Amino acid sequence: MLLLAALLVPLAAQQAAEKEVLKLQLPKPMFIGTPTNIKSPNLEVITGKSRPPFMVPVGTKLLSLKKPVRSSDMQPVIGELDMITDGEKEGGDGYFVELGPGKQWVQVDLGKPYALQAILVWHYHSQARVYRDVIVQLSDDKDFLKGVQTIFNNDHDNTSGLGIGKDKEYIEVAEGRLIDPKGAKARFVRFYSNGNTTNDLNHYVEIEVYGTPIS
Amino acid sequence: MSRAVFGGVLIAALAGALALRLAAADLRPMHHDEANQAVKFGALLEHGDYHYDRNDHHGPTLYYLTLPVAWTRGQATLASLDERTLRAVPAIFGAGLILLFLPLTRRFGRPAVAAAAILAALSPALTCFSRYYIQESLFAWFVIAFLIAAGRFAERPGPAPAVCAGAMAGLAYSTKETSVIALSAVVLAAVLARVTTRSADAPDDATAPRVSAGRRAAWVAAGVAAAIVVAFTFYSSFLKYPGGLFESIRAFGVYFDRGFGPGSHSQPFGYYARLLAYSSSGGLVWTEGLVLVLACAGMIASALRSPAIPSGFWGRYVSLYALIAFAGFSAIRYKTPWNLVPFYAGFVLMAGVGTAAIVRGVRPRAWRVLVILALVVAVSHLGLQNWRANFRYPADPRNPYVYAQTVPDFLRLTQRVMDVAALHPDRSAMLVKVVAGPYEQWPLPWYLRRMTRVGYWTRADRAGRLADAPVVIASQDQADAVAAALGGDYVQEFYGLRPDVLLAIFIERPSWDRFLASRQPR
Repeated sequence: MLLLAALLVPLAAQQAAEKEVLKLQLPKPMFIGTPTNIKSPNLEVITGKSRPPFMVPVGTKLLSLKKPVRSSDMQPVIGELDMITDGEKEGGDGYFVELGPGKQWVQVDLGKPYALQAILVWHYHSQARVYRDVIVQLSDDKDFLKGVQTIFNNDHDNTSGLGIGKDKEYIEVAEGRLIDPKGAKARFVRFYSNGNTTNDLNHYVEIEVYGTPIS
Repeated sequence: MSRAVFGGVLIAALAGALALRLAAADLRPMHHDEANQAVKFGALLEHGDYHYDRNDHHGPTLYYLTLPVAWTRGQATLASLDERTLRAVPAIFGAGLILLFLPLTRRFGRPAVAAAAILAALSPALTCFSRYYIQESLFAWFVIAFLIAAGRFAERPGPAPAVCAGAMAGLAYSTKETSVIALSAVVLAAVLARVTTRSADAPDDATAPRVSAGRRAAWVAAGVAAAIVVAFTFYSSFLKYPGGLFESIRAFGVYFDRGFGPGSHSQPFGYYARLLAYSSSGGLVWTEGLVLVLACAGMIASALRSPAIPSGFWGRYVSLYALIAFAGFSAIRYKTPWNLVPFYAGFVLMAGVGTAAIVRGVRPRAWRVLVILALVVAVSHLGLQNWRANFRYPADPRNPYVYAQTVPDFLRLTQRVMDVAALHPDRSAMLVKVVAGPYEQWPLPWYLRRMTRVGYWTRADRAGRLADAPVVIASQDQADAVAAALGGDYVQEFYGLRPDVLLAIFIERPSWDRFLASRQPR
C-alpha cells in the first residue's frame, strides 16, 4: 500500500506540473452586480464572485483568433461575423454581431482538428440577460451531420430539438462563459442560441477556443 | 405633376401604408396597455357592456369602432379575438391619414400632397403607433380632420364645415382626454393664421359670400352642438349611461394630476424633439430628421409666402397647429412616445409642403434632378428604418418607439402554459394562479383569454392553496413565497416580461413530465 502511494504521489505531482492556469484577457464589466433578482433551479446560482482559475495542459494556445466563422444568418444586420474571432471582447456598441430571431448558430473553423481544452463565449455583456437554449457542439464535419459531440446544452425543454440539456442557464457577464471540452478532438465548434430574455435576437461579442495539437 | 401621376402616387402611398400597418400584425407581443384595452373591448363585444372609466382606458371610440371589424371576422367573444382584429382598427386610421391630405390638394398643390402621403406612409413613428391597439392613430385622424374642417370654415364659413368640424372635435374628444390640447392648438392656429394672412392669400375668399356675424355665430353654435351630441353619444355608451359625458369632464382632474405631477413617465420638454431627431442605442441609429428638416422648410416657405404654395393661409395654419400642438404636448411632464402622433402628423404634412418648395425652388434643372435623387435616397432610408422599427426590432428596447414593451420571451411563458394545458386532463379548464402586482399581471389576461380558470392575486398568502393549481405564475417579489408554499414538487422556470422584469412559472411535476415527454425526439 505504501509502495503504491509512493508511486502515485510523484505521478500526480507530474500531472499537476503539466497543467497551467489558462491566461485570459477579460473585457471591462459593463454593469455592476445583478440588477435583476433572478432565482430558478434552471439558472446557475449567482455568486457575484469571479470564476476560479481554470487549469489547462501546458502549451495550450488560442486557436480561434482570426479563424473563419459561418452562421445560420450570414447577413447580420449589425456587425460582421469575423468580429466573433477578432479578439475584441468589449461589451459596448460596435463589438458585437447580431443574428436574426429564433434559433441561430455560428461555427468556428479551426483549420484542422485539435485537442480542445477550453472554450469561452461572450454573447452580450452590457446588460444582465440570459440567452436561451445555448448548445455547443464539436465535429470534424463542417455540416455537423456526423461525429457530433455535444459538450454544453442548457436547452432544458428541447426547444431546439437537439436533445434535452442538463446544463444550467446563466446570466451573461464580462468574464464570458467558460465551457470545458475535456480535451475532445474536433476541427469545427458550433454554438446555438435561441433569443434571450430581452429580445428574440442572438448576439456574439467573441468566441475563444483553446487547445493543443493532436500528437 | 399630372393628375394621373398624382393619383398613382397617392394610391401607391395608401397601399404601402396599409401594408406596412397591417402586415404581421401579431409580430410584436401585446403591450400592457393594448392587452388592457383588448380585454375591455372583449366585455363590450361579449356583453355589449362599456362604461367609461375616468381613471383609465381613455375614451370610447376605439372600442366601438373595433366592433365592426370583429363582426366582419365573425368574432363574438374575447377568446375568439386576435391581434389582427384589434390592430386593424388603428392600422386603417393610420393609413387613412393619407386620405385626409386629399382636400388640401388645391391649397398646397399636388406635389406637396403627394410628398406628404409618401412620408406619412413610410414614417417609422406613424407606422409604429398605427400597429398598436391604442387610441393614437384614431385620435390623430380626428384631429387632422377637425383641422381641415375648421380651416375650411375659417376660409369660407358655412354650416357644412361647421358641423363637420364639430363632429370631428366630438370624435377626437371621445377618443382621448388630451384632445383639449390638440383641438385648442387647431383653434388658436386658425385664429392666428387668419389674422396674419391677407385675404388675397386665402383662395376661396374671392368667391366667398359675405356672412353676417350672427349667421357665423349660429354656425359655430351648430358645430359646438354637433361636437356635444357626438361626445355625449359615445361617452354615454349610446345613451346607456347618461352620466358618461360628465365623467369625461371630471377626468380632467385625474389627467391634470397625471400630466403635470411627478411620476415615472415624466420627461423633459425636449423629449419628443430628441426622439424624432436622433437616437442611438446598441448599434442602432434612428432618425426622422428628414421629416423635421423638410417640415421646417415647409414652414419657412409658408411664412415667406413661397409661390410653391397656392394658399398662404393654409401653410401658416398647419405650421402653427403643428408647432403649438408640439409645444403643448412637450410642456406636459407626462410623456410617452405615442403622444407625438397628433402633432407629428402636422409636421409630416408640412414636410410635404417643404419638399415641393425645395424641388420647385432649385434651379437649374440638373440641380433639381440631383435634389430629387437625394430625396429619393433619404426617403428610402426612412423606409429602411420603418422596416427595422416595425418588423426587425418591433419589441426591442433599442427601438426608440418601444416603451415599457412586453418582450418576446414572455410569449414563451404563455406558450408554456398552453402546452402544459394541452396535455393536462382539464385542458383549457386547467387551474392557473397568477400571483403578481397589477403591473406584472398584464398582458397575461389577454394571452390566457382562452383558459377558463385563471385567477389573479397580488400576494401569495391571499391566493388560497397554491398547490391546487398545476401552474402558478409569480412576479419576482412573490416567487420565493410561492416556491415555499408549493414545496419541491414543482419545476420552476423564469421568463422576461419587460426589460429587467421577470416572471417565474411553477409547473407541477406530473404536468412537466408529460410536457417534456412530448418534446422528446420520436
